[in-house]
Amino acid sequence: MPLALSAVLAASAAGTSSDSSAFLRQYLTVAIFAAAAVVMVGAMLGLGRLLRPSRPQEQKSIAYESGVDPVGQGWSQSQVRYYVFALLFVMFDVEAVFIFPWATRLEAMGTYGLVEMAIFIGILVLGLVYAWRKGVLRWV
Amino acid sequence: MHALLAVASSFTGPRLDYHALAPEIILTATLVLVLLADLVLEERNQWLISNLAGIGVLASVIPIITLAVQNHAARSMAGGAYVVDDFSLVLKALFLGIGYVVLLMSTNYVEEGDYYQGEYYFLLLASLLGMVVMASARDLITIFVALETLSIPAYMLAGWRKRDLKSNEAAIKYYLLGVLASAVMLYGMSLVFGYTGSTVLTEIGKQVNGSITHKPVITLGIFFIVIGFAFKVSAVPFHFWAPDTYEGSPTPVTAFLSVASKTAGFVALLELIYVGFLGRNDVWGPMFWVLAALTMTVGNLIALRQTNVVRLLAYSSIAQAGYVLVPFAVAGDNIAARRSSFTAAVVYLMIYAAMNLGAFSVVIAVARKTRSGDISSYGGLFEYAPGLTVAMTVFLFALAGIPPAGGWFAKLMVFRAVLDSGTTWAVVLGVIAGVNSVIALYYYAAVAREMWMSPVPDGDVTPVRVPAPLLASLGLTGLVVMAIGVYPQLFAHFGDLGTLVR
Repeated sequence: MPLALSAVLAASAAGTSSDSSAFLRQYLTVAIFAAAAVVMVGAMLGLGRLLRPSRPQEQKSIAYESGVDPVGQGWSQSQVRYYVFALLFVMFDVEAVFIFPWATRLEAMGTYGLVEMAIFIGILVLGLVYAWRKGVLRWV
Repeated sequence: MHALLAVASSFTGPRLDYHALAPEIILTATLVLVLLADLVLEERNQWLISNLAGIGVLASVIPIITLAVQNHAARSMAGGAYVVDDFSLVLKALFLGIGYVVLLMSTNYVEEGDYYQGEYYFLLLASLLGMVVMASARDLITIFVALETLSIPAYMLAGWRKRDLKSNEAAIKYYLLGVLASAVMLYGMSLVFGYTGSTVLTEIGKQVNGSITHKPVITLGIFFIVIGFAFKVSAVPFHFWAPDTYEGSPTPVTAFLSVASKTAGFVALLELIYVGFLGRNDVWGPMFWVLAALTMTVGNLIALRQTNVVRLLAYSSIAQAGYVLVPFAVAGDNIAARRSSFTAAVVYLMIYAAMNLGAFSVVIAVARKTRSGDISSYGGLFEYAPGLTVAMTVFLFALAGIPPAGGWFAKLMVFRAVLDSGTTWAVVLGVIAGVNSVIALYYYAAVAREMWMSPVPDGDVTPVRVPAPLLASLGLTGLVVMAIGVYPQLFAHFGDLGTLVR
């Protein structure tokens, strides 16, 4: 699909010499792109509608909950403290993402790499210290 | 694969020019200190934090001055991705100046309201850091990282009045549309990167001017990137978030968003247009033309109907963004227009910063007494706050572009760029800008009339107590606005730093 699209786009921009028509052709590119986007979504949804069988049943409009019959309301409160821990987890997760590739190349990068990582971890630790001082780490 | 490893094993750290990076380093150190101070200081000593932040911002101006007096050639780092030249130094100084004035405006506002103080200054400084980086970014990734660094703290600051529904609405709208804009922009950047194979703007500029000039992918890339930044600078038709966000945010944050955040968007556009996409003015020229014409007209027309002064200033700042877009629209026409457009955009941003921050300072000062943002609450302001009235009148007339207040010079530069271009389309845009200046005068003057002529609505004529920091911000901005208005040559040469113009 991207190939076909770029062929269309290339056709729209082929030959660019005369002034105002060249300018219009530039924006024709944008228009074609927008049209292609609309047509593509329309085609996918429309095709699905044409091909799929339609047998409405009442059970089908129940909310899906791992195949089990759903219990209770769709709206429910979840503990806000999980959210704080999730945020802290993301902090360490990102740290790990950077540290692993860095560790494999540490020797090559030498002092420079060590100092860089120390600064990076220092800033992350600052975040942890902040969370700790503000009492986020306590399970209330 | 082996070649790749061979390259990697001969790793040498990038050569860092610590003198050139000193403003960023000092600012980072300051924001770390601010966060630590927030952790160790007791509630009654929290006022120290804003002083600490202010000193840090002023300290980061020092290396900018030492760099500026050196008259060194542009210092380029990371393969041209990070450049410290005259343009970036002036813009960095502008951002730090804006940051300092916003700190002055915030001090009492944050202290007296029920706000988290330490985090407020931390986020403000973090956003400021992103802007300072933006002034040096000459690379798609650096621009994007700088943009996110300045935007993400700003989303949180917009919602700082936590228990106020309007503030929540402000933050959510700003956040959602900001993220949408980032996504659109990134898509455009990915198209440009995909075709040029480089993220460094000078390299992209070479290729866009050379072999791949008329590739449709480049057209689309430029189109999406400009649309993304049009959201950031709240150009019509991408302005819908701006009035609600400006009204709901705490007023110092509104001032920060409408001046600093907008300026950062324009700085990024200047870098992209002048370094990256200079050869493709057939794509961005008409876009900026339409954006400028719509932004000026719609901003001014809706401003006519506003009854809340913050909303009025919000629409006025949309309209002002339209005037800044005018030079962008004519920049590609010829070499003279290219130079004067660059000067016009930079000078306009500097003057706009002073006059808009000044107007917001007055709004904050008046709201300390009236607790209201309605224009009708400004009735008879002259009777009990003559100083504030004179200051507000100066700022309003500056925004309207009436000499001797500074704004006329900014508009003059814009019209000079239009005349340098001289094409029919440019002149038509100039006429639209002229008509809009007249429309704008109406609503600016309406506020002035309310202050000077109307009676005091509730008869309460106890004077407004203006605390020292707010007085300082009023004094600074007022001084700059009048200095530019009376002696514009003082500032004109700041715009002539055509280090980006080729």
